[in-house]
Amino acid sequence: MFNRITTLSALTERLNNWQKIALSALICSLSAALMDPLIGHLDLANIVMLFLLVVLFVSVTLGRVGAIVAAVVSVLLFDVLFVPPRFSLTVENSQYLVTFAVMLITGLISGQMSAGLKDKERQSLQREVRTRALYETASKLAGAIAVSQVKEICENFFRDELRVSAAILIANDGLIDFDLSLNKVPFPLERHMAQNAIRSGKTINNEAMATTRYASIYVPLKASAAIRGVLALSLHDRSAQLSADDLSLAETLGAVLAITIERLHYVEVANQADLDRVSERLRSTILSALSHDLKTPLTVIMGLAESLSRGGAALAEPVLTVSRDIYANALRLKTMVINLLDIVRLEQGRMALGLEWHSLEEVVGAGIQYLGQSLADNHTVRVSIAPDFPLLEMDAILMERVFSNLLENAAKFSPPGSVIDIDASINEGHAHITISDHGPGFLPVDRETAFERYNRGALAHMQEGLGMGLSICQMIIKAHGGDITLQNHPEGGACVQVALKLGNAPQVPQES
Amino acid sequence: MSANRIRILVVEDALDIQRMLRSAFEAEDFEVLEAGTLTQALSRAATFHPDLIVLDLGLPDGDGLTFIDKFRTWSQAPILILSARIHEADKITALDRGADDYLSKPFSIGELLARLRVQLRRGPKTESGTSSILEFGDVVIDFVQRTVTKAGQSVNITPTEYRLLTALTRIPGKMMTQSALMKEVWGPNFKDSTHYLRIYVGHLRRKLENDPSQPKHLITETGVGYRFVK
Repeated sequence: MFNRITTLSALTERLNNWQKIALSALICSLSAALMDPLIGHLDLANIVMLFLLVVLFVSVTLGRVGAIVAAVVSVLLFDVLFVPPRFSLTVENSQYLVTFAVMLITGLISGQMSAGLKDKERQSLQREVRTRALYETASKLAGAIAVSQVKEICENFFRDELRVSAAILIANDGLIDFDLSLNKVPFPLERHMAQNAIRSGKTINNEAMATTRYASIYVPLKASAAIRGVLALSLHDRSAQLSADDLSLAETLGAVLAITIERLHYVEVANQADLDRVSERLRSTILSALSHDLKTPLTVIMGLAESLSRGGAALAEPVLTVSRDIYANALRLKTMVINLLDIVRLEQGRMALGLEWHSLEEVVGAGIQYLGQSLADNHTVRVSIAPDFPLLEMDAILMERVFSNLLENAAKFSPPGSVIDIDASINEGHAHITISDHGPGFLPVDRETAFERYNRGALAHMQEGLGMGLSICQMIIKAHGGDITLQNHPEGGACVQVALKLGNAPQVPQES
Repeated sequence: MSANRIRILVVEDALDIQRMLRSAFEAEDFEVLEAGTLTQALSRAATFHPDLIVLDLGLPDGDGLTFIDKFRTWSQAPILILSARIHEADKITALDRGADDYLSKPFSIGELLARLRVQLRRGPKTESGTSSILEFGDVVIDFVQRTVTKAGQSVNITPTEYRLLTALTRIPGKMMTQSALMKEVWGPNFKDSTHYLRIYVGHLRRKLENDPSQPKHLITETGVGYRFVK
């Protein structure tokens, strides 16, 4: 019986209000006609009961509107057709007014209640359908292996369930890159609203924009570790606001989407790390082989030329000169090979710095020592670094290269016998190290472009050795978050300034 | 061929470097024998009784480190590493396994011979200093009195500085890795506090070197460790 009524009410669902009014009036009239022969056989009180039954039936099948119409029409029909004097609205016995009132009230209340029940039933039915859709979407998302797939699943869900256009915007570190091809959206959006949703972590619903093509709802996609993006909804095709239920459905799916995107993110991170490891190992192998293959013949050339010139008196003067020239040029080649290998290593950009707390004096000293006799023979290096100068966090091997390169340049471009000064001072959270010589100083063109020349690949045009060495210095200093500038002293001479950040140097307990 | 000529075993797979080293060593009147593989090196080291080994770490049939391990089981003769590798870690491993010094390729013959002489002068490795007095430059260390003087003036040295100085100077010319020094002076718990080492070496240089920024005796090998030069 109940099932039949449900089927009936499903049928009447499609009728509009006027049709419902007409139908309920018709049902009441027909019932009244059927009841007419019963006059004289049944008490009027029982006739009232039959009318109430009809009102109940109508309210169950036709809902609230039908119930009201049926209640009113039944009262009228009962009055006109059954209550003496018949065929008139007047009532002989005023007791019937109470009957009318009870009939009307009973009809209205039962109508209201059955209509409420129907609403609830419809809602639970809708909820069931949605839960199923949500479940299916969630299981589809669990199988997704690309963000583009996630986007498609999400768009389909919102189109089918809520009749809205949806789009996912992926964020990185809380920022959405709207120019990313992944973040292209088929409808216009308010970028600051999308960004605000991420910042606040709360859904933004701008109801005023719902009628435009613009997305009016922005749901942040909160996953466990971070907010992974925003779900933007455009209500344009729907022409009605979303109910609170719809909105919470969107938020529920948003949570599932966030977890999915986070999962894909971690998969990608893991893959990338794998790839990095492999290519890093390959590059390191190639570099090692290259280094070995370049250095071995150089070692031989240098060694043989040096052995020859060490032969001394046994050799004729021209042979001695030639062997010295071979040695000197091999030495230059060595510097260039080492510089080149350094550049290749540094240009990989991801070379991990071996940062440790070092004494500046020691690293500068190692740079001087690296140049060895050739520097000591021609120049005096004066180092003034205070004994209590703080330790600096740096990669000592690379910083030694910086100082030896800068010293080598200073030695090359200043007259033999002149002094090269290295000073260090502290200013505004930075250690400033200056290397000054008494040469001619930098040419204006050098100062402007010394660091760029190498990058432009115009190696051939520079003063020998200047560009490459300085480029390496700059790469190393930049990798340390520092700065290097070329200047000239007012009284002449080049002056290279290196600025390095002071950190919180670790303390070493003093001994008595 | 006199019996007391210095014998040097060159373990190196590149033939031209072998030849180059031979000519340089023979000019110094050393007796030279070459080995191009790990197996050859081990057998020749056993029969040739070298006073010093010059070793390239990359060998066709194995690692130079294996040679160090095996050679050290029967001989304490100095090992000098020649390396074209770019990673400091390789050098540190070789030094920790028992090598005494290293030179990066390309090196100058002059430097190689200088390093060789330092190793040869100290003779077979001894665990404790043979003499109770060590002199370098104008510095005198008396290991019995535990005193240090520079230019005749007594130098005030703290206990840690003294321990570090002893460790550094025990074997002149031997490259001491940071971790070996840390372990000896501060113990195994300070392995990662290498800045202690840098601070204290700085103290020693300030007290013993004429120009602490350009030391002549307590030499830094950046990224690897320290070497004491007389």
